[in-house]
Amino acid sequence: MSSGFASKDKQVSLAELAALVPNGASLGLGGSFLHRGPFAFVRELIRQEKRDIEIIKQSPGYDIDILCRAGVASRARCGIVAMEGNFGLAPWYRRAVEKGHLKLEEHACASLTAGLRAAAFGVPFMPCGGLHGSDLVRINDWKCLDDPYGSGQKTYVIPAISPDFAVIHASSVDRDGNVRVAGTYHWDRIMSRAAKSVLVVAEELSDTRFADQPELTIVPYFMVQNYAIVKNGAWPGSCWPSYAIDYPAVDAYLQEGPEALARHIDAAPEAEVHRHG
Amino acid sequence: MAEQWSGFSYIVTNLARFIRPDEITFSGVNSTPPMLACLLAKRAYDWDFVYINVAGGVDPSPSSIPISSSDPLLAEGSASIFANEDFYDLCTRGRMDLTFLGAAQLDGAGCANNSCIGEWAHPKVRLPGGGGGAVMLPTARRACTWRTEHSKRTLVAKLDFVTSWGGMHGVVTPIAVFVKRDGKLALQSWHPESSLDEVRERTGFTFDASDAGPTAPPTSREREALESLDPHGQFERDAAVRLR
Repeated sequence: MSSGFASKDKQVSLAELAALVPNGASLGLGGSFLHRGPFAFVRELIRQEKRDIEIIKQSPGYDIDILCRAGVASRARCGIVAMEGNFGLAPWYRRAVEKGHLKLEEHACASLTAGLRAAAFGVPFMPCGGLHGSDLVRINDWKCLDDPYGSGQKTYVIPAISPDFAVIHASSVDRDGNVRVAGTYHWDRIMSRAAKSVLVVAEELSDTRFADQPELTIVPYFMVQNYAIVKNGAWPGSCWPSYAIDYPAVDAYLQEGPEALARHIDAAPEAEVHRHG
Repeated sequence: MAEQWSGFSYIVTNLARFIRPDEITFSGVNSTPPMLACLLAKRAYDWDFVYINVAGGVDPSPSSIPISSSDPLLAEGSASIFANEDFYDLCTRGRMDLTFLGAAQLDGAGCANNSCIGEWAHPKVRLPGGGGGAVMLPTARRACTWRTEHSKRTLVAKLDFVTSWGGMHGVVTPIAVFVKRDGKLALQSWHPESSLDEVRERTGFTFDASDAGPTAPPTSREREALESLDPHGQFERDAAVRLR
């Protein structure tokens, strides 16, 4: 029995990838705000009517908003939530918290990272700089430790956070499931190390020999459970350098009413595959 | 009468004036004015500084100016990717010279609430959250912020929730620039079309105003730099900043 995912036959459809997630699971999502988020995957969770999903991400926006809007997410750990790019607050997320439909564990981005690092490093908690004087410490009951080596410094420690799945939207994968990301990887790397499994949606299946530049791979295949290929899957967000934010599409998403949501989901790039798939 | 200085230009220009030569300076998510301030400072001043940002960029040369302040365009032309974990770690180890952070409410000590209006557990309004603030504000050498609304509900005597403690070094609003002095925000200057009385009238906390006077108007280079960043006035329109 392998401790990893030794198979080199990992490609599945988007629907099969999302079907791996049971109700009640916790998902660490990659990307940041409207940039390179696993948004096709998130919409597939809605199509499959998942429930009671926990979202773990330092800076979610569109993803957590649409999951609140569709009744998929019930719990969240995050640092800052907004649509960003001039769209302001994430309205359905905001309402879900205000009405008590979403149970929030509010973090600083770096305290969430500290929790992920604890899980990645295999220790029960992880020190995190700063946090002194913040009410976040009180509401989360974070403990402050004296330096056992006698410097006199006090450091807050954050309990380990291990998502059931890290879900990453990647620029490309090779056939075996090695993962490449163009531009910044945000928190995807630590997310992949902290999670029990990594699910990947990639823009393309690359024919490039990744072994020629192995340093460009941020997740090796043996950590990846399965991957799916979805061109433009980070829509309506960006995926550098292939495409930018589709601002009119985000505008359309923000219209009130269930019809607007249905229209938005049907307009998504992966919906085409669904209809003809 | 001198040409009017818009609230938008006032905020961006005065944020840029907090940047100092050679210092490592960071702009983050949801932070269009500081992004513009950093890009303005690169164009308007004779000296250089190290500009890092949330898109992983280090002294980038973006081919266009993005609406989103975390857009990957902000890493274009960068020779390295200095990713999210990197800039937080840089900050907590004490080597972030200046960071810009957002705030919904500020108190007289420059602490910030980004979390909620009302009680945290049962909020009247759920706000975005502090992002980097709780970790960066107490550990950065200096942190500066802005508010597009100068009022007694944004500049308060007591915060509904202390998301980030440690005190901003500088705060810019459409009508005033505050700087930390002896652990409290003191008025440094006011918008030339405003007054000390108006700033007092519209501020919820008390502050020292000795040595304060009207803000020096934008230099021609500051003005030209901002015009080059926002040639069609799109950022200015989107920000919709009003003096009153």
